[in-house]
Amino acid sequence: MVSLLRGGPLSVGEIAERLQIRQPQASKHLKVLQQAGIVEVEADANRRHYRLRAEPFQELEIWLTGYRELWNGRFDRLDDYLKEMPD
Amino acid sequence: MGEMTIKAEGPEFAMERVFNAPRDKVFAAFTECEHLKHWWGPRGWELTACNLDFRPEGAWHYCMTCQDKSQGEFFGMESWGKAVYRAIDAPNSIVYTDYFSDAEGGINEGMPPSDTTLTFEEFEGGTKVISRTLYDSEESLKTVMEMGMEHGIRETWDRLDEYLAR
Repeated sequence: MVSLLRGGPLSVGEIAERLQIRQPQASKHLKVLQQAGIVEVEADANRRHYRLRAEPFQELEIWLTGYRELWNGRFDRLDDYLKEMPD
Repeated sequence: MGEMTIKAEGPEFAMERVFNAPRDKVFAAFTECEHLKHWWGPRGWELTACNLDFRPEGAWHYCMTCQDKSQGEFFGMESWGKAVYRAIDAPNSIVYTDYFSDAEGGINEGMPPSDTTLTFEEFEGGTKVISRTLYDSEESLKTVMEMGMEHGIRETWDRLDEYLAR
């Protein structure tokens, strides 16, 4: 659903159709994403469009950078250790 | 060896890296204290406690301590972790649940656990390690992100802070 919304705002009907799920199921999922601050709703005439909020993805990017550095450091050490580790 | 790749898909993180060593050796490096103490933890942090019961439902309880004076306020800091093995298929894969823990091995119920599957594949004469970590929901992942970092990721945030302040 999140990757679908990367392409731009969509209505709940469009999301349900593209993911081939029922509309109530799509609404439920969207509600969770909305509560988590990942998507927001924009009302346009009588249609409601869901779109991704940029902020959590920037946070995620920063977090991922930290995660990547942590594991890279750890794996660099493993790489060094494997050279001296007895067979 | 190779650069590590990492990607996030919903509440799941996947990363992989290739090591220039036979699979049995890499598997042992991940599953025995005598080997883990040589590399587990960020640079400057040492594994100062390690109790590992390598069988399904067995636990690995460990402590990392910062022993690098140049890391300022982190010097001397302890970070306890606990993992419970769920499935072991040596030397192919391990599944474990990662918890936030304290020195007594108590689990911090306020923090969401995550399930990690480690896969070891023979790859071009070496070993490809694939790690998949799954939180039970995007909400849990967000909680972990918001509380910041355990396991020394915090150090990276501080560096980012310094970098941004320049």
